[in-house]
Amino acid sequence: MESSLSDRPRLTPVKLVVAGGFGVGKTTFVGAISEIEPLRSEAIITDASSGVDELFADGTKTETTVAMDFGRISLKHHLVLYLFGTPGQDRFHFMWDELARGAIGAVVLVDTRRIDECFAAIDFFEKRGTPFAVAVNTFHGRKLHGEEEVRHSLQIDPEIPVLYCDARVRVDVQRVLVAVVEHSLIRVMSGAAAG
Amino acid sequence: MTSESDTRVGGRIVRPYAMTGGRTGAGLPVIALEALVAVTPDGMRMRHQFRWEAAEIIAMARRETAVIELAAMLDVPIGVVRVLIADLREKGAVAITDPPPESASGAGEMARIDLLEKVLDGIKSL
Repeated sequence: MESSLSDRPRLTPVKLVVAGGFGVGKTTFVGAISEIEPLRSEAIITDASSGVDELFADGTKTETTVAMDFGRISLKHHLVLYLFGTPGQDRFHFMWDELARGAIGAVVLVDTRRIDECFAAIDFFEKRGTPFAVAVNTFHGRKLHGEEEVRHSLQIDPEIPVLYCDARVRVDVQRVLVAVVEHSLIRVMSGAAAG
Repeated sequence: MTSESDTRVGGRIVRPYAMTGGRTGAGLPVIALEALVAVTPDGMRMRHQFRWEAAEIIAMARRETAVIELAAMLDVPIGVVRVLIADLREKGAVAITDPPPESASGAGEMARIDLLEKVLDGIKSL
């Protein structure tokens, strides 16, 4: 039998959220660095305004299942980092609050061919005060927009990191995660973090 | 309608909330998706008295495992797994490690900085 868990150091869980439009490569991004194949978990919702997993006795509400993909990375210092991909579709945006709660930061993944699809995520994290970095996914091979164009299009604060990455490439994803956490750290140190 | 990849229709053979006796966990404090569940020594001693999903949670949580991982591996909705975990915690069979709090004011600010520095070091060392 295994030794009991109580005599081992307990792990501390932390999470980062990966947001962006439908099909922008969030699960690819998570999978590039996760130590497990990204897993899919589901919540049952009855309608978009009632919240997650509520159940109605009258049975008149339509049930929908919303899926979230996530990965896990074991880190030094007894930490385990979970990466959560947000559900892509607009009608599931109410779930983002639960995903963002307690998150150490967020990545907004951008496809410059459909840059408007990330606007909702940026609005959300700005309003909520969640520190985030913008990662332009270049896996289609071309940088269609320069950083200045991206910043202009997104109208974000100059201190928000904007990086280019190939969401399939582990070191690219690692670089983006480093940028988010550094940005988070600067925000806390300057007293500007979400309360 | 919604696209295939974000939603799924049917596929289960047991109504999800039948596993919890119809309870949805409404009114209980919400356990974070990334909170870690670990079997306690008492849970190991009691493990043979649990069945179905509860027994599987006990088996999987011999290694600290997040709520969302348990939901994914059991293929049950998150709300259902939360109720099952809350039951197991009440019986003393599992312990839950909550994620560190988000707010960073006063003493919490130093703890948050320390945490973020460790996470940063951890990611850089991958």
